[in-house]
Amino acid sequence: MSTTQALGKPRTKSVIGDAREVSRAVELIRMGARLQVLESEIALARERLLRLYKEVAGTSPSKGMLPFSTEWFMTWQPNIHSSLFLNLYCGVASASGIDRVDALIRAYRLYQEQLDLSGMDEVLSITRAWRLVKFFEAAMLDTANCRDCGGRFVVHKYEPTRAFVCGLCDPPARAGKSRMSGVASSRVRIGGAVRKRDDAFS
Amino acid sequence: MTNEQLLNEIREANLSYLVLVQNLVRQDRAEAMVRLGLSEEVAEILAGLTIAQMLRVAARNVLICRFRFDDALLWSLLTDHGANAGTKSVHASILMASQPLQDIA
Repeated sequence: MSTTQALGKPRTKSVIGDAREVSRAVELIRMGARLQVLESEIALARERLLRLYKEVAGTSPSKGMLPFSTEWFMTWQPNIHSSLFLNLYCGVASASGIDRVDALIRAYRLYQEQLDLSGMDEVLSITRAWRLVKFFEAAMLDTANCRDCGGRFVVHKYEPTRAFVCGLCDPPARAGKSRMSGVASSRVRIGGAVRKRDDAFS
Repeated sequence: MTNEQLLNEIREANLSYLVLVQNLVRQDRAEAMVRLGLSEEVAEILAGLTIAQMLRVAARNVLICRFRFDDALLWSLLTDHGANAGTKSVHASILMASQPLQDIA
């Protein structure tokens, strides 16, 4: 409805507004969003969100904190996926009358479609995508254009970017050796430690 | 191919393009802008055309839509079927998504 809605999260009074919030919540849950995403973006009471979550997902929402570090977005493969998503997000969000949730859902759909066409697995979950947008809005993350290919990539804010070269033009030695051929596993290797690809505490 | 046939082909292409734009924008304006590479202003203009206007615009002797990705690196990424095809495809996607949306002056 308006861009201010997502900011202050006012409780909706109208029935139509309420129905709209429910359908957006359902969409986010189907995409695998954590409850915290809904709590901060959807203007519905927590108890209703919880009931909705159980009904749509079939299970109780997982507990635990959301990942809060910007570092994950800087690691090789996550950075590629984050950059693709953020570019799509910015394009969608440039339309008028589109708030954060609308843009998030649309951009994430485009991201999934794109990976499907490329025959690759999703690395960026909807919850991560939401964190990315929040970090970007909070000016903790920024974008820089690669000196070689010109593409726009996610970088830390205040990082010197004049000679920035992206991870695809200059991949690290081991990058893509194990999993980029299309058959991706569900594990991400970060700094020597293998961890499961999920939204767990990072 | 005769000149008349060529003009017909151009008209067909123009018309297909306009119909596609209208369908996409009506379905979801924000998503359509990304898919088409058009700014909101251009998308609105094209989506607001009547059938008569579309026919008139389509019946010019030139194509009304422009080549969108004029980057040699992008084309080598798009057409390469060698190793790391998935990575190249995603790289191409990032380059395409990095482009600003086409606006009117």
